[in-house]
Amino acid sequence: MRAAIAILKKDLRMEFRSKESILAMWIFSLLIFVIFNFTFEVSRLIMLEIAPGLLWVAFIFSGMFGLNHSFAIEKENGNLRAMALMPVDGGQIYLGKFLSVTIMMLLFELLIFPIFIIFYDLQLSLEMLLLIPVVLAGTIGFTSLGTILSAVAVHTRNQQILLSLLLWPLVSPIVIWSVNLTGMVLAGEVATSFYPLLIRVGAFDVIFFTFAYLLFDFILED
Amino acid sequence: MKRIIDKTLLIVLLIAFLTSLYLVFNWVPQIKASNTAEQIAQKIFYFHVPSAWLGFLAFFIVFIASVGYLVTRKRQWELVSVASAEIGVLFVSLVLITGPIWAKPVWGIWWTWDARLTSSLILWLIYVAYLMLRRYLPDGSKRANLSAVVGIIGFIDVPIVYYSIRWWETQHPKAVMASGDGSLAAPMFFTFMFSLATFTLLYVYLLRKRYQLLVLEDTLNKQFKEMEIL
Repeated sequence: MRAAIAILKKDLRMEFRSKESILAMWIFSLLIFVIFNFTFEVSRLIMLEIAPGLLWVAFIFSGMFGLNHSFAIEKENGNLRAMALMPVDGGQIYLGKFLSVTIMMLLFELLIFPIFIIFYDLQLSLEMLLLIPVVLAGTIGFTSLGTILSAVAVHTRNQQILLSLLLWPLVSPIVIWSVNLTGMVLAGEVATSFYPLLIRVGAFDVIFFTFAYLLFDFILED
Repeated sequence: MKRIIDKTLLIVLLIAFLTSLYLVFNWVPQIKASNTAEQIAQKIFYFHVPSAWLGFLAFFIVFIASVGYLVTRKRQWELVSVASAEIGVLFVSLVLITGPIWAKPVWGIWWTWDARLTSSLILWLIYVAYLMLRRYLPDGSKRANLSAVVGIIGFIDVPIVYYSIRWWETQHPKAVMASGDGSLAAPMFFTFMFSLATFTLLYVYLLRKRYQLLVLEDTLNKQFKEMEIL
């Protein structure tokens, strides 16, 4: 556990020292909303219908940003090899990376959400608190798969494109469910199917995480 | 011995394919449909569904071989998983091509974002990414490890993808094999099973051939390397 926390601390410190990436990400998500607004010139009613998907597009792009970054920085100075040589279980390294990527992504989401509320003129309500578990579950699903695939893709020349190719189809169930759940909350129609679906996302998070944790040793090996 | 097995397989395969073509186009009764286009299009069923089944079988073998590789570290397992992934992508491509050809006369559209169609497309994307990953990595144990990990995660994801999209109402017919009102008439069932067996045989043959080819490639590469040293 100590190794994981050390990696987490190191990553977060690096991110916060260079604040550019956070700022860039924030501006980028702003741009996504602006571009979507122009490309789909639709009425407000339709806009509200596609809003949950839009929100997740912004979330996913911000997540990709972090994931592409996560192992690339380790590769630069041969640190990946050093990590592989650490006398700890590979799962620990996975856990540390997973935590740092997840925390960064959640932070981005926290920054994106207010813009979203303003641009789509949504009414804040107490019910919106339900978005917290939804976003949490969706994000963890995304990063638990994303972290291991990022470690896979980093060994290739076309790291960034390959990560998207690998991750997006695999993570599509989680994204589909998260968009559904977000839609329910934003529409103010939390149906009886909401909680079973949320639990399902959580269950698959656990499955993905466990497999990634166990398989990570093989990825570090040379 | 290997030669003899391959030859026999090929001959049996040729006979089986000709027979199943005869069964599909000449023997099995036409379905009752509003127009002939629909009747003819229905023949695709005998190729479309077996291809889908083969896709799954192939990806299951990728999974098994990937686990096999990580446990034993034998090159053979790696080669089997690549060969099977390639064949799987080929057959799911066939599913994605024959599907729209069938859908156009029956549903009036080429494509719809329906549960089965979407999940088949995602399945195809997963394994195309798997093959691309292998392309981008230099040969070696690293590549074998990484692709085995992706092969395992990919297959675990397959049922989840199906499950997640089932959510939407589906236009695609349910599995007709299930007993009940929608079950197939006896001749159709026989033709279908025959076609399925033929396709499975084709898979076995292709897998053997592709595997042998990969082994040959390996030997050749080894010889090249030896020559370079000299």
